[in-house]
Amino acid sequence: MTARFAFDAAMALAILFAGVMVVHRHPVKSVLALVVSFFALAVGYVLLSAPLIAAIQVIVYAGAILVLFLFVLMLLNVPAEVRQTPGRPIHHTLSAGAIVAFAAALLAVFRSYGASSAPPGPLPANPADLAPLAKLLFSDHILSFEALSILLLAALVGAFALARREGSP
Amino acid sequence: MTPNGIPIGDVLLASAALFTIGLAGALLRRNAISIFLSIELMMNAANLAILGYASALHSLEGQIVVFFVIAIAAAEAAVGLAIFVALFRHTETIDVNKINLLKW
Repeated sequence: MTARFAFDAAMALAILFAGVMVVHRHPVKSVLALVVSFFALAVGYVLLSAPLIAAIQVIVYAGAILVLFLFVLMLLNVPAEVRQTPGRPIHHTLSAGAIVAFAAALLAVFRSYGASSAPPGPLPANPADLAPLAKLLFSDHILSFEALSILLLAALVGAFALARREGSP
Repeated sequence: MTPNGIPIGDVLLASAALFTIGLAGALLRRNAISIFLSIELMMNAANLAILGYASALHSLEGQIVVFFVIAIAAAEAAVGLAIFVALFRHTETIDVNKINLLKW
């Protein structure tokens, strides 16, 4: 019961700061709000017995990806969005309608699938024990893992090729 | 119900809320980097749903999938931000309303 309370509190925090991220006009403050949201999500991952993913969430997502965002924001010196004076009422109405319709559809789908209880397999021993996870990753999913390393190399080369100044060696 | 006593409904509700907030951000923001951040949030909402089901079904496969999703998100962030840097160098802005080369 306490786990459920802690999980709900963490998710409330994550949702709150996700809202702050969307509402804020200044992109740097958006990134900082998203960092808080991702930390709260990491707490949720621990409670869902996935401590390795929680650690990766903090180290890779909050620590590396969002810091990369901050670097680029500082580099480009992006100003805060100014409120548009004429506004685009049609665009906003359509967007709001799409968001509400999407949220309703998502809830309906989750309601129908959330109740269905497939028989769970045997309970994994200790969630903090990483050996079964590592065994699975490096046996059944070894090909995907190696493909991932090639993808990261391609992304590295692609990012370098895109961001370098034209004409420079 | 997960081993820790968290109902799967709570996880899915939080996931749906986060995904909808991310969608709202992607639709309503005009700054390209804010849109990108919203997309990252949507990806995390999906991760949360995957981990919720993995935990409820006592499966480790879900954690493997989320591991791959996070690695691909890292690659995507690197390439996307490089595109924004190149774009900013060309147009001096990353406001998506002012980037209209392909609009008619």
